[in-house]
Amino acid sequence: MLDKKKKYLQIAFNRSLDEIETMINSLPLSDRIIIEVGYPLIKTYGTRAISTIKTLWERRVLGYSVGTVEATEMKPFQLYKAGYGSPLLDLLLKSIEKRKIENPKREFSEKKEIALTPYIVADLKCMDRAFTEVEAAASAGASAATCLGLAPLETIDEFIKRCEEIGIDSMLDMMNIEYPFEILGKLKKPPKIVMLHRGVDEGENREKEIPYQEIERIKSVYDDVLIAVAGGETIREVITGAFNDADIIVVWRIFNENPEKITSLCNEFLKEIK
Amino acid sequence: MNLKRRQKYLQIALNNTPYEAREIIAQLPFSERILIEAGTPLIKIYGKRVISEIKYGIREGTYIVADTKCADLALREVRMVAEAGAQAVTCLGVAPVETIDRFIEECQKNGVDSMIDMMNADDPVSILKKLKNPPDIVVLHRGVDETEFSKEKQIPFYQINQVKDNFDVLVSVAGGDTIDEVQRAVFNGADIVVVWKAFYQSTAETAKLAEEFLKEIR
Repeated sequence: MLDKKKKYLQIAFNRSLDEIETMINSLPLSDRIIIEVGYPLIKTYGTRAISTIKTLWERRVLGYSVGTVEATEMKPFQLYKAGYGSPLLDLLLKSIEKRKIENPKREFSEKKEIALTPYIVADLKCMDRAFTEVEAAASAGASAATCLGLAPLETIDEFIKRCEEIGIDSMLDMMNIEYPFEILGKLKKPPKIVMLHRGVDEGENREKEIPYQEIERIKSVYDDVLIAVAGGETIREVITGAFNDADIIVVWRIFNENPEKITSLCNEFLKEIK
Repeated sequence: MNLKRRQKYLQIALNNTPYEAREIIAQLPFSERILIEAGTPLIKIYGKRVISEIKYGIREGTYIVADTKCADLALREVRMVAEAGAQAVTCLGVAPVETIDRFIEECQKNGVDSMIDMMNADDPVSILKKLKNPPDIVVLHRGVDETEFSKEKQIPFYQINQVKDNFDVLVSVAGGDTIDEVQRAVFNGADIVVVWKAFYQSTAETAKLAEEFLKEIR
């Protein structure tokens, strides 16, 4: 599903679903953007978070905004015209008409010719019961799901196997693991994506670094594995990740803390990790 | 801590659907020694509302454990669970030490019991020694996948006293399906024994186990 020759920006969303709706509607359309349904979000809303976010991103990709239904869209179903219905309905219809005149560009002109399939990562951080968790994420529409490298080997093997059977990408999160390479060696089969990760709580401990040196080590042995790095947040850290040959750069804090700047931040990051 | 030392508890884990959870809860005898767990799959599939839903269906004062298996962002997770009305929450023993420390501290602030789940941790005592403060409860068990695929892996009973000799904490272990197995766990020093309904069991069997526990184990 992901192209080995491209570099991706994975944005982890962790705010409320309403806020995420606005944020997703501000994202630039790029096939290099991966949307991650954050781990706190799944625990708050359940797998519903995955299906909702997938729908939001799909609608955005297809070219119409979510939340504000355009009057033009409603035309075929229009039963009333202003002046014929109840006073409240009239008022609503008039305001829609007015908005249409003020903002004529917003009809279907935003629809662009784009070839991009929404790619959604469910950050499950699976630790046990891999079969059940993979099923739940896939049936909610996820394109990939995460499992902890800290989980028992039996769980990781089952996770990778079930992801393959069901047709989604397996992502192994190496948070708090000093030598990710050694874990890979113990598995029956490698995952599709390995994520080198410095946790958010760990991130405040300045001594802990993302183990960039592991990227080449893993890639030299596992040809088909893609590498994601998570935990760096500044432009400089993102560039370092891309420079060290990471395929996916995961960002979280900067986007969730500055939702109003999401478009420019995204463009800037995409430019840097080409 | 919300639990009493020297008391033995049975923790019933609910893992399938909110409907089944309600069905089991309706048949359970009421006792402060019966704890109800909202299992990880249930929380990941239905979200935190499942905790409030379980709470809604049972008698006030029932102790609810939210098995969120926190691995990062401890502050947010503890607050979420406390708001939903749980009395205890779990964090992974293999999580970064910064996460566990924050988790325990935040649990204390919110009046929620901290449970550290030692799944896939070789040496629980060495993990506990690295922490600023010990948790309220230490959970010793093997994962469901581990048990299914590696039958030779046993419940680590020998670790119960290792932990208790070093720290003033309660110890919880996963205890199997029958009253004999539960008794064995208590005999080995466990304060809390966790059981869950296997898919081939009827809810009545889980309720019967709870009744036997209240009668046999004091």
